Amino acid sequence: MSKQNKISPRKPRKKAAPMPPAKVKIRQLPTGVRGLDEIMGGGLPELSFNIIAGDPGCGKTTLAHQILFANATVQRPALYFTILGEPALKMLRYQQQYSFFELAKLGKAVRFINLSDLVLEKDMDAVLEEITKQVLALHPGIVVVDSFRTVSRKALNGEHEMELQAFVQHLALLLTTWQATTFLIGEYSEGERHSNPVFTVADGLFWLTQNTERNSVVRKLQIMKLRGQDSVPGLHTIRINGDGLSAFSRTQGLGEKKDRPLLRKRISSGIPELDKMMSGGILEGDSVLIAGPSGTGKSALATHFLAEGVRRGEAGVALIFEERSKGYTARAKSFGLDLETPQKKGMLEMLYLRPLDLSVDETMREVLDAVHRLNAKRLVIDSLVGFEMALAPGFREDFRESLYRMIAALTGAGVTILTTVEIEDSFTSFEFSHYTISFLTDDIIRLRYVEIDGQLRKILVVVKMRGGNHSKDIREYVVTDKGVVLIGPRQTDYSRLTSGLPTRIGQVPSELAPEPKARWLLAEPESTPEPRSTQRKESTMQAKATRRK
Amino acid sequence: MSDRPSPELKAFARQLLAYEATANPADAKDAAAFRAFEKLRGPLGKLIGVIGFRSLLSRALVLASDEVPWLRGMQIKADGSLEASNELQAKLDQGEFARGEAALVAQLIGLLVTFIGEALMLVLVQEVWPKPPPSPAPRFEFDEGEHP
Repeated sequence: MSKQNKISPRKPRKKAAPMPPAKVKIRQLPTGVRGLDEIMGGGLPELSFNIIAGDPGCGKTTLAHQILFANATVQRPALYFTILGEPALKMLRYQQQYSFFELAKLGKAVRFINLSDLVLEKDMDAVLEEITKQVLALHPGIVVVDSFRTVSRKALNGEHEMELQAFVQHLALLLTTWQATTFLIGEYSEGERHSNPVFTVADGLFWLTQNTERNSVVRKLQIMKLRGQDSVPGLHTIRINGDGLSAFSRTQGLGEKKDRPLLRKRISSGIPELDKMMSGGILEGDSVLIAGPSGTGKSALATHFLAEGVRRGEAGVALIFEERSKGYTARAKSFGLDLETPQKKGMLEMLYLRPLDLSVDETMREVLDAVHRLNAKRLVIDSLVGFEMALAPGFREDFRESLYRMIAALTGAGVTILTTVEIEDSFTSFEFSHYTISFLTDDIIRLRYVEIDGQLRKILVVVKMRGGNHSKDIREYVVTDKGVVLIGPRQTDYSRLTSGLPTRIGQVPSELAPEPKARWLLAEPESTPEPRSTQRKESTMQAKATRRK
Repeated sequence: MSDRPSPELKAFARQLLAYEATANPADAKDAAAFRAFEKLRGPLGKLIGVIGFRSLLSRALVLASDEVPWLRGMQIKADGSLEASNELQAKLDQGEFARGEAALVAQLIGLLVTFIGEALMLVLVQEVWPKPPPSPAPRFEFDEGEHP
C-alpha cells in the first residue's frame, strides 16, 4: 500500500471536561459616594439587605440618599420609608442642598413614603403590610427604612425579641425576593454591635461614628460585615460637604504601586551643583527628604525642584501647609523662578490644606487626584511639620504609619517626591528628622547652621542615596536672589562642621564670609554688596596690613 | 417676613383651584371648595404622614384666618380632611367661599415653599395636577424695610 493511501487510524478525541455549573454572579451597584466603592470591594452587592448604623449626626441619612439617587430610575425606583425621627419635610429641606440631590428624580424615580402613623397607631404587621403593598406596586430597586430603630423599639415594646427577629426575617425575605437592595437605618450604640438580632440577618453592616478629638471632629466608617465580597477592613475617614459624603480608604493608593524599572533616569533638582553631588541628579521615583532648621532654605530647594520640572515639561504638584499658594509663588519669583505661568497652564497645582482636622487619607486622596489630573511627575510636600499640624489630633498619633502609607502610595504612582521637614538644630547630634522616617526616604539631604567667624552660615550634605553613590562633601551654600547657590569647593579649613560648632584647622584666617557681615551692613546700609572677588581682595589687604602691624 | 402670601402665590393658588374646578365641574359647591385639599392630602400625607399633614394644614388655617376670618370656623378632622359646619356653609356665598379657599391653598403652598423650596413644591403639586399652571415663582410678601 502506498504511503498516500495509507489511512492512519484516528486518534480518539479526548472528551472535553464538562464545564462546572456557573456560580452566581453578584452584580455590584455604585454607591454614589466618592471612595466608597473601593472600600466595599467594587460596589454594593445587588439584592443585599444592609444596615447603616451609628450615632446621630454621623451621616447615615445622607449616605442612604446618595445611594438612592445614584441608583434610582423610573423603571426601578427607590422607595424611602420614613418612620418616626427626622420629619420628611425637614429631611427634604436639608438633603436638597447636596449636589447629588436630583429634583427631577423626585416623585417618579425616588419616592418618599411616611409610615409614622402606622407605627404610632398600629402594630408591626400593619407596617410590614404597607411596605409589602408599596413594594409590590412599585417594584423598587432600592428600599430604605429610616429609622429602623423606631420599628425595633415598637417591636420590643412589651414583646419578645423573637417578634422583632420574625419581622426582620419577613422584611428581608420580602425585599430580597422582590429583588430590592435594602438599607435599614438606625441609631445603635457600640454596645449593641454583638447582641442585636437585626445584625444577624443583615448581609452588610455599615457603622458610622463621629468622634471629638480635642477641638476636632472626625467622622469614620467601618464595614463591619459584607457578605459575598472582600471589603477593606478597618476605620476609614469620611467627610461631609456640599457633595455629600466622601470616604477615604485607609489603603487607598497602595494598589497603584508599580515596580520600579531597573534602569531609572536621573532628574535634576534644579541646582546643578547639588545634582553633581547626587551623581547626576535624583533618581526618578525616589522619595527625597530635605531636613533642616527654620530659615535654611528647605522651601527654596523645593521651589527649584518644582520649577526645574516645569522647565523640562514635567508637571508638578505642591502640597503646602505653612504658606498660601500666592506667597509661595511670590517667593519663587524673588528667586527668578516662575511658578505662576505653569499654574495657569495646568502644569503645576498647589494644594493648600490647613483645616486642622484633616486625615492623611483625605490628604492623600487630594494629592492622588491632583497627580492623576496633571499626570504629575514631581511632588513637593512642604512641610511634614505643617502637615502634622493640619491633621486632627487623633491622626497625629499615627503620623509615622500614615506617612509610610502615603509615601508608598505616591512613589507607587511613579512620582518623585521631595519632602521638607523642619528640625531643631542640636549642637550635640546630627538628626535627620524627629519622625524617624528615614526608612521611608530614598535620599536625605541635611541642611544646618554652623557658626564660623561670628556668622551663622549654612551647610548642606547628602546623607543618604539609596540608589547609588553620592558625594560625601559638606558644602556651604547661600540663599540669594537666585535661590539656593552652593558655593566654593569642599570646606577643609574646619572640622566638626556637622556639630554646628566647627574647629578651624586651616592655617590662614583669610577666608571671607560668603554673605556680608553685619558690620558692613551697618556701615553702608544703602549700598549693594560688592562682588565677592572685590571683598576677598580687600580683606586680604586688611589681613596683610594686620600682619605687618 | 410677613405671613401674607404674595399676590403671585395667591394667583397661583387661584389658578390651581380654577384648574381643579374645570377638571371636575360636576361637583357641588361644598365639595369643590376643599377638593383641592383632598387631592393634596394624598401625596402630602404619603410624604409627611397624616399627623404631619394635619399640623401643616392647621398652621395654614391659622395664617389664612387672619385674612379671611370665617376660616376660623373650619375644623380639621383626624384624617386631615377639612370640615365646615352646615351653618357656616349656609352663611357664605360662593365668592366668599372661593376667597377663603384660595387664601388657604396659598398659605399651604407658601408653607411648602418655605420648608422644601419652590422646585420640590411643584413636584408635589404635579403629582396631583400633572399640568399645573406655570410656576409664578411664588414668594411671600416682604414687609417694608425687609429684603428678599
